[in-house]
Amino acid sequence: MKQLVSILDGNTFVVSDRRGDIEPALDFPTGLFSFDTRFLSTWRLLLDGERLHALSIDDTESFRTRYFLVPGEPSHYLDAKVSVIRSRAIGGSLEEELTVLNHSGQEMAFTVRMEMAADFADLFEIKDTQRKNGHNTAAPGEDTLRLNYRRDAFHRETVINSSAPAQVDRKGMTFPVQIGPHGEWTTRLTVTTMIYGARGEDIRTLLPYSGNRTVAAIEVEHADFVARAPKLGCDYQPLAGAYQRSLSDLAALRYESIALGVRLMAAGLPWFMTLFGRDSIITSLQVLPFLPELIPPTLTMLAGLQGHRLDDFRDEDPGKILHELRYGETAGFEEQPHSPYYGAADSTPLFVVLLDEYERWTGDVEMVKKLEFPVRAALAWIDTYGDLLGTGYLWYQTRNPKSGLENQCWKDSWDAISYSDGRLPSFPRATCELQGYAYDAKLRGARMARLFWNDPQYAEQLEREAAELKERFNRDFWLPDKEYYALALDSDGTPVDALSSNIGHLLWSGIVDESRAKRIAQHLLGPRLFSGWGVRTLADDQGRYNPIGYHVGTVWPFDNSIIAWGLWKYGFREEAGQICEAVLGASRYFEGRLPEVFAGYERDLTEYPVQYPTACSPQAWSAGAPLLLLRVILGLEPQGEHLIIDPYVPSGMGRVELLDIPGRWGRVDALGRSREDQANRQE
Amino acid sequence: MTEAIQQFFATLPARAPEVLRGPVGGTLRIDLSDGHRTEHWIVRMRPGTAEVSQGPEHADAVWYCGVDTFERLVTGRTQAIAALFRNESTYSGNVVVFLAFRRFLPSPPSTRDPREVAREHARWTR
Repeated sequence: MKQLVSILDGNTFVVSDRRGDIEPALDFPTGLFSFDTRFLSTWRLLLDGERLHALSIDDTESFRTRYFLVPGEPSHYLDAKVSVIRSRAIGGSLEEELTVLNHSGQEMAFTVRMEMAADFADLFEIKDTQRKNGHNTAAPGEDTLRLNYRRDAFHRETVINSSAPAQVDRKGMTFPVQIGPHGEWTTRLTVTTMIYGARGEDIRTLLPYSGNRTVAAIEVEHADFVARAPKLGCDYQPLAGAYQRSLSDLAALRYESIALGVRLMAAGLPWFMTLFGRDSIITSLQVLPFLPELIPPTLTMLAGLQGHRLDDFRDEDPGKILHELRYGETAGFEEQPHSPYYGAADSTPLFVVLLDEYERWTGDVEMVKKLEFPVRAALAWIDTYGDLLGTGYLWYQTRNPKSGLENQCWKDSWDAISYSDGRLPSFPRATCELQGYAYDAKLRGARMARLFWNDPQYAEQLEREAAELKERFNRDFWLPDKEYYALALDSDGTPVDALSSNIGHLLWSGIVDESRAKRIAQHLLGPRLFSGWGVRTLADDQGRYNPIGYHVGTVWPFDNSIIAWGLWKYGFREEAGQICEAVLGASRYFEGRLPEVFAGYERDLTEYPVQYPTACSPQAWSAGAPLLLLRVILGLEPQGEHLIIDPYVPSGMGRVELLDIPGRWGRVDALGRSREDQANRQE
Repeated sequence: MTEAIQQFFATLPARAPEVLRGPVGGTLRIDLSDGHRTEHWIVRMRPGTAEVSQGPEHADAVWYCGVDTFERLVTGRTQAIAALFRNESTYSGNVVVFLAFRRFLPSPPSTRDPREVAREHARWTR
């Protein structure tokens, strides 16, 4: 695959090749996208009819890139009389400053041409080139090209403007230019994306943050975001690097929802630049100790869009928390179910878990009171519609066979849930981590009911149900011969006996019997699951194991961060530290930016973590992973009005110092040292 | 105005205790247009109660919708947020009010309880 360059601001992003050009591709979303629509599908620069090639690229910032180009194909002999700089930034609209430099001692004439087109494809249409149902028009004007797409009342427009005089036609702009000796010529191209609502206004102009911000405003906003986070001082460079990179990626991934006018976190570039229930909740849990102000808009939005009716197309039930919200044409015309889609069985219990965890850190009782009824509805869903078979477990089975998800847990690819021998189980399925989340949700719901809703009876009921669930789970999911928990139960109640990373989530939820925790920790850090760079999604001796299979053998940084949290909860500090070291060590090979997923090859075999071919990057819950790992290393846990700090710094990491940790205690500092570092200091 | 729409508005006060739970509140004006004239429906929502009236009054949010689309919404044959995304209906004002009102809209016709459907095929049920 050609190397691609991406810049983003919230859910508006550009993916181009290394020359800065955009050409329609079927396998990967190249182009300028905003709110799930492609507003530019062709953006190709020609100089005297010739393509250019890249000398270098400056892409150190998430919202800005510069391309340094010369004409012709690369060769040893390079004696360019002319070069081109494309300086591009994104902030709602796309701005590109195009400069042509004449390096010769005489005046030169050039024809600069930018080819332009917009197919207005919905992100879901990229992979198959079905004919669109609406119609496109192109309207050349004075130094302006307007590209339109209409389908009934649905109207999107791309407006391209040039600061320098241009000859505009329906397929682009041409600039015949004369440049003096050692002189230069510049034009500024502005590409504005329009989403029309009623009365022909762009609906984003009604939003408090507005779609279009200047690059300077974005810079200030990013700097402010990073400044609010605690300051990390540490000797271990991979941790320091990953922390900084994560903060800046999280800043870049925030976008403003059309529907609510609040800042939310997009899940991952390029496929998932929108709100996901699961991703936003997990990311919130990861970043809570660092940036608690990100949580209320997410909780409010998820509660506002909570399911309220039965809808087979959307897999919606009353009380269910959404899986995925999309703003594009296919969602609007109900060709895809994402308005929103509810096909996830975990986002509902995780919603309850997040609210409780948020209160424990911040003391924001108002929020817990405001969300009492959505939380009660979520807890009710677990025992009603969530328990499809009435057996006391959370099950899933899509009611939308055409466009619904088969697997409604975080491992949602079609082959992710299998028996040890590789067979696929029947539906409905009850994966193990769902039961852990339900258990945790009940206990946390009980705490909130007792402390804030003045309902001790409900609290007792939830605690009783949680205890029964734990007992039942430890009976039905435990595989005595294999000494681990089954990945799932099939529709007959038979354990789906694959060894998977899901057992690590069980530790986090606390549903594991104390007597079995050690065995689980041994499996997680054992050679079948642990690659050296982290815990694999599926053990390497299982039927469907594939080191580059999306959910069947790869290593996911977010998964590992939850597992490390779980190991810590059960007192396995050294094992948790091993995972922290492995994942942070891997981040060095990605310049601190952990991708969505990397390959599950043995560390000894490849010596570096192998990139997964189409991994999303940046990805919110991967950016959140180093933050959660840092929490695990420092042992940060709120207790009453205080923050407990109980560090266990893996050997080799030296000093780890985190200043100004926000919470109900105001701001406090935490300091940890690895053992050999402590010993050295005592000498 | 169609009978389905009249009936829908008539049932709101009785359904409010079940639908409007928690600290929800605000006034929504629904402007229903058939292309010639527009009817203004006012729904005042508070926890557990909803009052319905008609008139071009000021409201916290205004929802503009064609009569045909609204009839399909109140009979469960289309969905409110999708209708907004395809610009078939629009709103202005406080979106929380719209999200609260949306909860009155019914399931698609002939939807079955998913538990019934799942239990028809599974052998392990209680």
